[in-house]
Amino acid sequence: MPGVRIKGLVKRYGDVGAVDGLDLEVKPGELVALLGPSGCGKTTTLRVVAGFLKPDAGEVWVGERCLSSAATVIPPERRRMAMIFQSYALWPHMTVAQNVAYGLKFAGVPRSERDRRVKAMLQVVQLPGYEGRYPGELSGGQQQRIAVARALVVEPEILLLDEPLSNLDASLREEMRFEIRRLHEAFNITTLYVTHDQAEAMVIADRVAVLDRGRVAQIGSAEELYEAPSSRFVAEFIGKTNLVEGRAEDADTFTRGRLRIRLDGAGLSPGAPTILSIRPHQVELRPVTSDDPARPPLGALRGAVLRASYLGDAVDYQVEIADSDVVLRVAGPAAPRLRAGDAIWLRVLHGRALPP
Amino acid sequence: MALDRTVTATPSRIEGFDRAIPVWLLAAGALLLLILLPLGWLAYMSVSGERGLTLAHYARVFTDPRLGRALWNTVVLAFWSGLLSLAIGAPMAWLTARTDLPGPRLMRSLVMASFVTPPFLGAFAWVMLAGPNAGYLNKVYRSLTGSPDPLVNIFTMPGLIFVVALYTFPYAYIMVVNTLELIASDMEEAAAILGASRVWVAVTITLPMVLPAILSGFILSVLQALALFGSPAILALPAGFHTITTQIWALFQYPPKMEMAAAFSMPLLLATALLLFAQKRILGRRGYAAVGGKGGQRRRIPLGLWRYPALGACLTVMACAVFLPYGMLAKAAFARAWAQPLTGENLTLANWPLVFMSTSTRAAIVNTLELGLLTACVGAALAALLAYVTSRKLIAGHQILAFLVLTPVVIPGVVLAVGLFIAYTRPPFLLYGTLWILFLAYLTKEMPVGYTQSDATFRGIHPELEDAGRILGAGRLTVLRDITAPLARSGIIAAWCFVFIGVIRELSASILLFTPNTKVMSVVIFDLKEEGEFGAIAVLGLFMLAMTFATVLTMQGLLGRDVLGARPSSGGSG
Repeated sequence: MPGVRIKGLVKRYGDVGAVDGLDLEVKPGELVALLGPSGCGKTTTLRVVAGFLKPDAGEVWVGERCLSSAATVIPPERRRMAMIFQSYALWPHMTVAQNVAYGLKFAGVPRSERDRRVKAMLQVVQLPGYEGRYPGELSGGQQQRIAVARALVVEPEILLLDEPLSNLDASLREEMRFEIRRLHEAFNITTLYVTHDQAEAMVIADRVAVLDRGRVAQIGSAEELYEAPSSRFVAEFIGKTNLVEGRAEDADTFTRGRLRIRLDGAGLSPGAPTILSIRPHQVELRPVTSDDPARPPLGALRGAVLRASYLGDAVDYQVEIADSDVVLRVAGPAAPRLRAGDAIWLRVLHGRALPP
Repeated sequence: MALDRTVTATPSRIEGFDRAIPVWLLAAGALLLLILLPLGWLAYMSVSGERGLTLAHYARVFTDPRLGRALWNTVVLAFWSGLLSLAIGAPMAWLTARTDLPGPRLMRSLVMASFVTPPFLGAFAWVMLAGPNAGYLNKVYRSLTGSPDPLVNIFTMPGLIFVVALYTFPYAYIMVVNTLELIASDMEEAAAILGASRVWVAVTITLPMVLPAILSGFILSVLQALALFGSPAILALPAGFHTITTQIWALFQYPPKMEMAAAFSMPLLLATALLLFAQKRILGRRGYAAVGGKGGQRRRIPLGLWRYPALGACLTVMACAVFLPYGMLAKAAFARAWAQPLTGENLTLANWPLVFMSTSTRAAIVNTLELGLLTACVGAALAALLAYVTSRKLIAGHQILAFLVLTPVVIPGVVLAVGLFIAYTRPPFLLYGTLWILFLAYLTKEMPVGYTQSDATFRGIHPELEDAGRILGAGRLTVLRDITAPLARSGIIAAWCFVFIGVIRELSASILLFTPNTKVMSVVIFDLKEEGEFGAIAVLGLFMLAMTFATVLTMQGLLGRDVLGARPSSGGSG
C-alpha cells in the first residue's frame, strides 16, 4: 500500500494563493487530517491530490508515481482513489446498489462479482437490504453511509474525505466520527481527511496537519499539537488557551511589566520576546483566607475573580492578576466555588513559550 | 473555504489529450458566427459608402423627418405600453400573490395564456373586435345606442398601446410576482408589531423591497414593445404612422435601402442594450438575494368588500387579453363572414379545409414545423453544451462565452434580420432564399432563452456529483453520459420547448428573410391580412395556439411548475 507525498505545492486563484508551498507526507495506511480555518487551503489541497485541480508548482506523489505536477496531471479517473464529499454526491437517479456499484465497473470487476461486493459493503456500513432504495428516500446519516460504501467498495489506494460530517446534526456527527475511525482500522487505507472541526480531527486522525494560509503550520498527533504547539496559531487553534505577550528574563522566568511568572524547566531564551501559552486547566486557584500569611505561597500570584460561570463539571473563571493588565480564563473544579470579586492566589502550573 | 468551494473542476491541460476540448471549441465558434457575423456586417453596412466609410446614413436617419417621426412614435409606444403593463401587471401580481383574491391559480394560468399568445394574433383579433366600422364591439355599441360613431378605434396610437400592453404586461407581472413570493410575511409582521399600520407597512417595507422588480418589469415590458413588429404593422400602418421596426421593414421593400436600414437599426439596438444593462444594474444591486430567499410563511391579506371588485378588474383584463380575442378568432374560424352574427347559415367548416388544402399554406406549415423541430433540437443541444461549458468553467474565456450567448436578448428580431440578410446574401455564405437563413435567425434569437433554461438546469446539478464519478474511474464524457445527462434531461427538454414555441410564432425576423418558397405560418398570416382573409387567419392562428399550448403543457409536466416561474430573458416577440 502506497503513501502520499506532497512537495512544495502551490495553487493560486488569480492573485490569491490558496496553497502556498505546502509539504506533507502521509505514511502508508495512515489517516492524516488537514485541519484549518476557512480559506487555509485544505480543500484546495485535497482537490489537487484528487486530480481535479492542476497545481501551479510542486508535486503530488503516490508511492512511486508522480500524479500531479505543474506540467502534467493524471486525470482523477486514473488515480485509483476514492473520495467522500461534503454533499455526499449520491446520484439521485440511481438506486443505492447502482451508486455503490458504479466504480466497480471501471475497476474491471466482473458483473457477477459486483453484486456480491455491493451486498458485502452494505453490510459493512450497516445498511443491508437497502440496494433498491433511492438516495432521496434515505436520511442524511444513511446517505453518508452509502457515500462511504461507494468509496470503500472499489478498494482504493487512497481515500479522500472532504468535510464529510459537516452536514450531519451534532449527535449523528459524533457517532459517525467513531464509525469512520472503525472503518479505517478495518481497511487501513491511506487517508486524507479535510475538516475545520478540531475535535473531529483529533478523534479520527492518526496525525493532524494544521494548515495556516496555505502551509502546514504543524503536524503531529493530537497530544503533540495540544501539549507542544510550535506557534501561536496552532496554540490558539487547538483547544482553548491564554496567550500573554512578554519576554524571558532568564531560562525559568517570564516577565511582562511588573508581572513575573516562574516556570521551572521551561527553557526560555533569556532576553527574547516571548508569548506564553497557558491552558485554562493549567492554572491553580486558591481563595485568600484570613489565616493566610501576608506573603503569598511559593510562586503564587495575587488576583481576583472577575466572573464565574458554572458549567456543571467545571467552572469557567475569568481572573485578573493583580498589578498587571493580564486577564486569564481558568477552568477550575466545581468545588471549592469562588465568586466574582473573591480575592485569590493563583499559580501557573505549566506554560509553553512560543515565538512571537 | 468559500474560495475553495466556488472554484471547482478546472482541469485544463490534463495528461494526454482531452477529447472534449474540440467539442467546446466548436460550440464557441458557432456562437461567434451566429452573433458576431451579422452584427459585424450590420455595423459595417451602416457606415459604408460608395467611397470608403461615411456617416451619411446616420445623418439621414436623424434628419429625415419621416424617420424622426418613426423614432418618436416608437418612444411613445414603448413608454406608454411599459407604463400600462406595469399598471396592469404589478397590482395583479400583488392580488394573486398576497391577497385572498378568489382563484389565484386560475388567474396565473390566464396570465400565462396571455404570455404565450403571439402578439400579432392578438392584434388581428382586436382589429376584428374594435375596427372602427366592422369591429364587433363597435357594432354592438352602435346597435345599443343608435350612435353613428364607433365607440373605439383600434387604428390609433392609444389603440396600439392598449393592444401591445395586453401582451407585454405578463413580463411586469412575472417580475413582481416572483419577488413578492420571496418576501416572507414575517418581515412585514416585524414592522406591524412595532406599531406600523397596514398601509404604512406596504409603503415602507413591501414597496421598497419590490421596487427593483417593478422597475425591472417596466423595463422588460418596454423592451418587448420596442422590438415588436407585428402589432404596429397591423395597427399603425393602416393608421398611417410608422415605428422603427415597421420603418426598417419599409426600407427593405423594393428598392431596398440596406445601408439606411442598417443605420436605422443602430439606435434601436443601442436603446435595447442600454435598457437591459439598466435592468441588470437595478436587479443586481438589491437583487433577489436581499429579499430573503427563504420564502417563509406567507399569510394572505383579506380584501374584504374589495374581493369581488378586484376579481372583476382582473377578469376584465383577461377578457381583453384572452377571452375576447380567442373568442373572436374562434368565431371567425367558423364563420363565412366574420363580421356577421354566428347564425346557422353563417356557420361553416369551409375555412378549415380551405386553409389546410391550400398548397402554399401547407408548405408554410411544413416549413414552420421543420424549422421549429430543427431549431429546437440544434438550439437545445447547443444551449445545453454552452451552459455546461460555462457553468462548469471548462475553458478559458467562459465568461465571455456566457456574455455572448445572452447578447441576442438585446437584438430585436427586425435588426437581427437586417444583419443576417446582409451577412448571408454574399459569398461565402449564400443562404438567402433558403430555409437556412431563417434557421440561423431563429437559432440566434432563441439562444438566450434556451441557454438561460439550460444554465439553471446545470447550476442545479452539484458539481460534486460529477467529481464523484470521475474519482471512481469514469472519464469526463462517461460522466456526462451516465450522470449529468440523465439529471439534466427534463431541464433540457424544457429548453427545447421554449425554443420551439419561440420559433413557431416568430414574425419580426421572418418578415424580412422569407422568400416565396420559404414562407412560414406567421408570414402567411401576415400576408392573408393584405387579402382580408380573416377566416383563414383565424384558422391558422388557432392552429398555432393549439401547438403552443400543447408544448407549454408538455413543458409544465416536465418541469413540475408553470412557465411563469422562469424569468423570461426574452419571450420572443411577434
